[in-house]
Amino acid sequence: MRLSSPSIGGRLARSLVLWSVLWCAALGAAVWMIVQEEVAELLDDTLQSAAEGLIGPLALSLTEPVELSTAPRGPKTSGRFTWQLVSHQGRTHLVSSALGAPVAPLHDTPKPGFSDVPGWRVYGQATGHDGQMVYVAQTTEERVEAATEVALAALFAGAPMTVLAVLWLRSRIRRELQPLRDLSERLAHYDPMQRGATLGTADREELQPVHAAIDALAGRLTRRVAHERAFTSHAAHSLRTPLAGIDAQLAVALREAEAAHRPRLQRVRTAAERLQRVVAALLAMFRSGAEVQRSQIDVGALAARLPIEGLVMETRGTSPLNADPDLLTAAVLNLLDNAQRHGAQSVTFSTPAANVLRVHDNGPGVDPARRRELRAAIEAQDYAGRTGLGLMLADLVARAHGGGLSLPESASGFVVELDLGT
Amino acid sequence: MRLLLIEDDELLGGGLCDFLRVDGHAVEWARRLGDIDAYRGEPFDAYLLDWQLPDGSGLEWLRARRNGGDLTPVLMLTARDMLHDRLRGLDSGADDYIVKPFAPEEMAARVRAICRRSAGSASARIRVGEVEVDLVARCAWLDDERIELTSREWSVLEALVLRPGRIVTKGELERLVLGFESELASNAIEVHVSSLRKKLGRELVETVRGLGYRVGAAA
Repeated sequence: MRLSSPSIGGRLARSLVLWSVLWCAALGAAVWMIVQEEVAELLDDTLQSAAEGLIGPLALSLTEPVELSTAPRGPKTSGRFTWQLVSHQGRTHLVSSALGAPVAPLHDTPKPGFSDVPGWRVYGQATGHDGQMVYVAQTTEERVEAATEVALAALFAGAPMTVLAVLWLRSRIRRELQPLRDLSERLAHYDPMQRGATLGTADREELQPVHAAIDALAGRLTRRVAHERAFTSHAAHSLRTPLAGIDAQLAVALREAEAAHRPRLQRVRTAAERLQRVVAALLAMFRSGAEVQRSQIDVGALAARLPIEGLVMETRGTSPLNADPDLLTAAVLNLLDNAQRHGAQSVTFSTPAANVLRVHDNGPGVDPARRRELRAAIEAQDYAGRTGLGLMLADLVARAHGGGLSLPESASGFVVELDLGT
Repeated sequence: MRLLLIEDDELLGGGLCDFLRVDGHAVEWARRLGDIDAYRGEPFDAYLLDWQLPDGSGLEWLRARRNGGDLTPVLMLTARDMLHDRLRGLDSGADDYIVKPFAPEEMAARVRAICRRSAGSASARIRVGEVEVDLVARCAWLDDERIELTSREWSVLEALVLRPGRIVTKGELERLVLGFESELASNAIEVHVSSLRKKLGRELVETVRGLGYRVGAAA
């Protein structure tokens, strides 16, 4: 199962949005508080000015107290604003005619300065005449509405700017991450085995150490591959030549030996041939730098090239394969060798799907438990002591092609399927 | 056929020599490039050449021989199995390339094939007048009747058939058939040629007076 890695761009974008929301909330709260403060201050100033403006005319116009129920109404004002002229005994002399304006005195006892009563913000100022007080008041609702409108106006003006800033920053993040995508692109086509291959200069200063590290890694890999190639060349010569010598000596011995000794010599020669196949397969598989060189392979021709004495080979409705002929030959040779050692007399090749080769022998096969164990070993690529060389090589060859090896159930014999990728 | 095997591995070289000799070929064995000097001027039907030799590259030696005009067929015997190695070997003048380890039977078949091609025949059966020669079965037919030949008679016939229309001197024929044993029996070739004429007809092997023998029309 493939786990998706977190995206740098996604993480930055999420952080950006989160911090933008928090920033907006904090900014909004600050704006709200400041606006509340400033608007309240402004409105209080207005109340105070209004009170000072009313004192003169009101104090002079009425000298007699008036009953509450019959308190005369002054000039009409809006329902959100009112004023009262109150005697020092707490009787209302005069009130504004605003709709809903309270007739009862806002304060029973003289209370100069700002104060709050339910629903109203009040400013009281003594008229200087017989203890009379002028109270000017504004509804709390009006004050909240004013403050809210100002704050919302400020926020609505700021929000589009914030959204624009977020979008711009997201775009910047994408652009700044582009060099990473470019680096991936360059790496996809980077072949350190090519002479003078280098990633070159990075597009961003921060990526320069990455380029340098990759080039250094490529250098180390190239040196190691060169050593392995040299070793393989020596190993190939050291193994192949004596094997050829053994076979030549055995061929001569077979010709010269008495008839009674020939079967024994033939068995030795067959074993030597098997050793040759194994060595050839191992060298082909483990030769570093042996990239898959695909070409069209006719399965019938492939089978004809694999002369395993005593094993009948048949092809059934095969379609051409697109694979590395040397690697596939090495893998199939070892599968056939396996089949023969396990008592198979014949092997059938078929291609059940595109670029999949099925090798089906008529040997005794394996029981379900053993098949499960083999499948688990192949799945985990943990071959040591769990699978034979043939299956291991076949799996490695299939994986080198981008595919894999499977062991389907079969009513008889043993079946191996090599998916050779595309 | 007379073959020069250039191979440094004792086990392989010894086995191949024995195998080819049992097949009736005259085989000389050089273990190093430096040993080849001993065969300077000697005729061979083919060289069996290893690539990596103790005193140099067999490939370089081959290139030099080709540049010097030597057209003797060459079969490369090497552990180098990569495509680019095979291409280098063939492009440097090798007629065929076989990767170790190999079955000596296959190697012998390849030797026969390159010699046959060198003689201008794609088929293993070569007809000369009334006589048909099978290079694989190592036998001859006269008017569809199989004629039994001794090993030496066959070797003489094979050496001449592989050089159709060409005059082969007695000395050359001696060395091709007998190798360095030729000094031991100086009239052996005349005896074998005479025997061949008795079995296959007098017209098969032409004696070019003072020069040597020829099979087939003059080239």
